[in-house]
Amino acid sequence: MKHRGRGVACGWYGIARTAAMDRAAVWVELDDGGTVKIATGVTEIGEGVLTGLCQIAAQEMGVRPEDIVLGDNDTARVPEAAHAGATRMTYMIGNAVALGCREAFGRFRTAMGAYWGVSAESVRAFAGQVWAEGSASKRMSMEHAVHVLKKERGIVIVGSGLFTSAHTALNPENGEATPWQSYVFGAQVAEVEVDDDTGEVQVLGVWAAHDVGRVVNPQQVEGQIEGSVVMAVGHALMEEYVQHNGTTTTPGFAKYILPTALDIPHVTSVLLTEPDPKTPLGVKGIGEPAITPTAAAIINAIYDAVGVRMTRLPATPERVMEALVDRRSAKQPDEVPVAEAIS
Amino acid sequence: MSDTLLDGGTLAEGCHPTTEINATVNGRKVQRRVPNHYRVIDFVREELKLTGNKEGCGAGECGTCSMFVDGKLIKSCLAPVQKINGCSVETIDDLDRDAGMSLLQQAFHKCGASQCGYCIPGMVMAATSTLRRNPGASRDEIKEGLGGNICRCTGYQKILDAVELARDIQSGAVPASALEEDAEAHSFIGQRTRRLDAPAKVTGAIKYAADMFMPNMLHMQVVRSPHPHARIVRIDAETARAIPGVECILTCDDVPGVDNFGVFIEDQPTLARGVVRYVGEAVVAVAAETLDIARAAVAAIHVEYEKLPSLFDPHTAMHDGAVQLHGFAQNNICKHTRIRKGDVDAALASADVIVEQTYDTQSVEHAYLEPEAGLAYVEADGCVTVQSPSQNITHHRHMLARILGRPINKVRMIMSTVGGGFGGKEDMIYQGMLALAAIKTRRPVRYVFTREESIKVSAKRHPFNIRYTMGLKRDGRIVATKMVMVADGGAYALSTPGVMNKSAILGPGPYDIANVWVDSIGVYTNNTPSGAFRAFGAFQSEFATECHLDLCAQRLGMDPVALRRINLMRDGATTHTRQQLDRVLAVECLEAAIKAAGWDAGVPYRQGQGKPQRNDFNYEGSRQSYLIGGQTQPLVPRASSKSDVHPVKISIN
Ligand code: FES
Ligand code: FES
Repeated sequence: MKHRGRGVACGWYGIARTAAMDRAAVWVELDDGGTVKIATGVTEIGEGVLTGLCQIAAQEMGVRPEDIVLGDNDTARVPEAAHAGATRMTYMIGNAVALGCREAFGRFRTAMGAYWGVSAESVRAFAGQVWAEGSASKRMSMEHAVHVLKKERGIVIVGSGLFTSAHTALNPENGEATPWQSYVFGAQVAEVEVDDDTGEVQVLGVWAAHDVGRVVNPQQVEGQIEGSVVMAVGHALMEEYVQHNGTTTTPGFAKYILPTALDIPHVTSVLLTEPDPKTPLGVKGIGEPAITPTAAAIINAIYDAVGVRMTRLPATPERVMEALVDRRSAKQPDEVPVAEAIS
Repeated sequence: MSDTLLDGGTLAEGCHPTTEINATVNGRKVQRRVPNHYRVIDFVREELKLTGNKEGCGAGECGTCSMFVDGKLIKSCLAPVQKINGCSVETIDDLDRDAGMSLLQQAFHKCGASQCGYCIPGMVMAATSTLRRNPGASRDEIKEGLGGNICRCTGYQKILDAVELARDIQSGAVPASALEEDAEAHSFIGQRTRRLDAPAKVTGAIKYAADMFMPNMLHMQVVRSPHPHARIVRIDAETARAIPGVECILTCDDVPGVDNFGVFIEDQPTLARGVVRYVGEAVVAVAAETLDIARAAVAAIHVEYEKLPSLFDPHTAMHDGAVQLHGFAQNNICKHTRIRKGDVDAALASADVIVEQTYDTQSVEHAYLEPEAGLAYVEADGCVTVQSPSQNITHHRHMLARILGRPINKVRMIMSTVGGGFGGKEDMIYQGMLALAAIKTRRPVRYVFTREESIKVSAKRHPFNIRYTMGLKRDGRIVATKMVMVADGGAYALSTPGVMNKSAILGPGPYDIANVWVDSIGVYTNNTPSGAFRAFGAFQSEFATECHLDLCAQRLGMDPVALRRINLMRDGATTHTRQQLDRVLAVECLEAAIKAAGWDAGVPYRQGQGKPQRNDFNYEGSRQSYLIGGQTQPLVPRASSKSDVHPVKISIN
């Protein structure tokens, strides 16, 4: 017979590297055609950071994302921006891009203000158009503006940005430290259906709320949450790398079972988007935080459904059955809360 | 023999019997003579250099190699090349020659259905097949159609959305304008801007390391240890060296610089030095003209070992008198992180209820769809360059410079497109051998792992054993938390020290707890090394905490949400490491999640206690339970359901 249950779990995560100075650098150049070159050692690992950085640069420089040319991932050609991990890409490099662009755009405003004879502050740009606030005639394309500055003024607009995030190392005796500057919190609810004849668990829904800071691209954030949740469904219910005397008995995907499209819950992502007050851009990150609550929410939901508490991952059908059989054979009444006992 | 190489290079020739293949591939007639043992995927990728379709497993399990043969979807890694003789083959490279992107590919782009992109060519092929078979396929039919394709990144949801969008546009139910970019707003930040790299991913145009070829390129293969712990007595490579086409054979003696590297502790040699510590450790590397010759050379190398006693259990490994795996690590302890805050013993004595439980998390494989691969070469200016999906090119460059004994500016790392990482590609486990071989031979060298090699050799998620003690007041207030965690770090440290730190710092969860005691101990064993993996130790320790809170709620007869609400950190909280936080949105996240889910408050497992049932099922955001075959039969256990849905070896005659 099938039983449904729900479980909840919270999570938190410190972003950028632990107990070390973390830093990311970029160079920016406003290029011919009103395009922008960004060089930084960023490394996309599939999460979409390159697109996010182009959105940030476009916003800061007054052009469109497709006008950005991003030099990346080559130690001989771009400044160091360190590794792709620790949920640090949008946070560290996104802020570095913003800082570099702000420096470049500040120079651009000054130069355009001088060219137009208006104050630098009144110079604005968006999506490839440049104008002076309050003037109907002082308006041109970014392409033209770059041309004018180069040809008539001999100015090439460049900038650089370095974002650092300082941490302190753990005191070896008591762990006292400031390991991260920013934290991401989260909570998830999972709904499962457990078949008590087979031990099979299906995850039907996951509702995931995370405070990701200012959001650069909601589609990519959802993508990270959905990917995390499904990876955690695998961890919770089926995945296990097994070794016997040091030799694996799960050497391929026939033995090492991964979730497929048939195993996935519907995922509802809820984004709390309050900007991070500690950083220029206000962004945080989500690559890792989203996986921290899911498996526990699923395991808690299994308990809620059938009253067995799985304490060993993964909760395979065999293990769930074993727990159910154990409980039945012990002929115990369903466990009574101890609240009555202690009151 | 070298004629074919000068012609542009075939993968194997000479020593293997060959067969002639005549086929139509992507509309063009091709005629080639290739080794008899080639599979369709080899023919397409290595012979025709059509690299859009990927090889993720070579065993029919992942679907990345899916292509059409005479209109029928096959897993081309399972089909011998002879099967396409006289047939018409369609790969992702040319799925829509006229429009650039097919409707499905455009829908994938629009919906954000590609992340690393490695599974996407196979997904697009399988989805194309599904909609060709049934243009009105339901979401469940689409799921079944994609059931033989694995995606490790996206969680499938956006892929399914994309296939549904394409279906609906095709049927006219949705206008084609749905594919357009969302209207431009006043800000590019916050927009659902479509991924700039997605067109290249959905069409298979983007190149991963294994898709790269260079003129005069050699192929690397590696002799790996069959033993978990052994002394290397003798390496006999003479027979291998004599095989024509073998260009270089490397052992640890060929490392010119300081041969010790690692993320936190430099305890790992490029190739085993005197002793092997886990099954799969690299011992000898070979670079040869073809992959087949490199494999033959590896088979001809004889390594004589003297077996040593091995440790597989971290608790045993910590005992006094256990074999020492690394000279510097007493009791095989790689890292011990301690958090001590307040007085846990006194607080436990004051608690109304003490709840104890032990939790175990397993060793997990990253299972990125792209197996490790790399291409190394020496540039004209003498700079040695490695292109590989390394997650940490900065650090790898520094380590490589030390290993090679070269200045840093003579070492260049380029991160090739990464087909999934999740932390698993932070470790530099093969780039050193590649660079050495390129320097020695003055030729480009490529190394592509098989799936089996990737699983055996790469780092895993640390398995944790967590003893948990929590003391609470009757009203649910946590007064003390004690966690003692022992993790299997495997044979080398890799990221173990960092993982122990993160598991300890974050382990007690986002809760305000005055008295905290955490021991997080990472231990060397002779198992596959453990390393970085998404949420880096916090996945394991927070899992225990969140299960434990549920157990406490059950004991206290409380709603698990209410228990959390009482204890969650709030603005101005002090963390377990005594960091002062200002803004804390933990409660807001919990409220948002339960609101979205329509959570019905109450104790866990109500029905089993004769209490009224939950009333929050069938809430928006949950799906129907899945039944194989159009929801007509009851669900069968996973083992058999899997073979039902994974197309088994398809014959295409
Ligand atoms: S490579 Fe063919 S199914 Fe995985
Ligand atoms: S996008 Fe599917 S495996 Fe990465």
